[in-house]
Amino acid sequence: MNTPFRLDEHRRRPHPPLTPPPDRYFEQLPTRLMQRVQPASAPAWGWLSALSAPLRTALASVVVLGGFAASFFLSPAPAATSSLAQVPQEELVQYLLATDQRLTLADLAELPAAVAVSNTAYLEATPAEVQRELDALPIDEAYL
Amino acid sequence: MEDQEILRKFHDPASRNVAFNQLVRKYQSKVYWHVRKMVVDHEDADDLVQDTFVKVWNHLENFRQDASLYTWIYRIATNECLSFLQSKRRKFFLPLNDVGAELAQKLEADEELAGDEVELKLQKAILRLPDKQRLVFNLRYYDEMPYEQMADVTGTSVGALKASYHHAAKKVEQYVNEHFS
Repeated sequence: MNTPFRLDEHRRRPHPPLTPPPDRYFEQLPTRLMQRVQPASAPAWGWLSALSAPLRTALASVVVLGGFAASFFLSPAPAATSSLAQVPQEELVQYLLATDQRLTLADLAELPAAVAVSNTAYLEATPAEVQRELDALPIDEAYL
Repeated sequence: MEDQEILRKFHDPASRNVAFNQLVRKYQSKVYWHVRKMVVDHEDADDLVQDTFVKVWNHLENFRQDASLYTWIYRIATNECLSFLQSKRRKFFLPLNDVGAELAQKLEADEELAGDEVELKLQKAILRLPDKQRLVFNLRYYDEMPYEQMADVTGTSVGALKASYHHAAKKVEQYVNEHFS
């Protein structure tokens, strides 16, 4: 370079000579921007945004509880007694006979008696001594 | 359409879209080239221009008119550019001047600059400036913006801007003279 470069003497441009934007860029930019700034339309659920927050919460709760209730009432409940009634009598008998733990008539007729706890072992006295002590006690008439 | 008319229409919900459309058409070219000078790449510039105008849409209702609309939009675009360059450095762990090197590579690939050695050196010299000094240089040299308006855009005093531009111009001239074969 013969003469030193000076900005004042350099041809000034409105902007650097870079590759210009694509064709019709400035024609399309406003449309693209309008698409960005417009809220996304949701016509099916748009009315929800009009409700207040507590109302929306209450509505959501009702929907959830309603769902539970509907599933409870609409689902077929397996009834134990009704399903047992559907089993043929013969199959029931076969099942009971096939099990290892069988009941005998004696099991059904007698209930195991409660074991009487005797406290005689703790009394260091003869029956005669006990009777004598009992006779000596005053007996209230209210007990007779 | 005058800025006042655009603002008046924007405050009316019935004519808001029309007003915004007019605003974009009026300032899109200036904003685009302001951003493009800072980031060089068209795709990056396109993203930043869109982000700028979306912010304009979101905040125009609260615009207090203590600055001109033009200056206010420029300020938003400038902040978008500076944040973009800063995040780029943070993302790629680059030192301050390496974004300039990356942008310079994009310049060399630009067909418009092919064959114009002085202009290419000039652009490379500008890209070597720190971001804020480059911004001041661009506003003054290319946009020929008055210093008072630049002060509104950058939030810097007129005196500091004059000093910054003076230093930037000297650095640019020095670089071109040293690197011109």
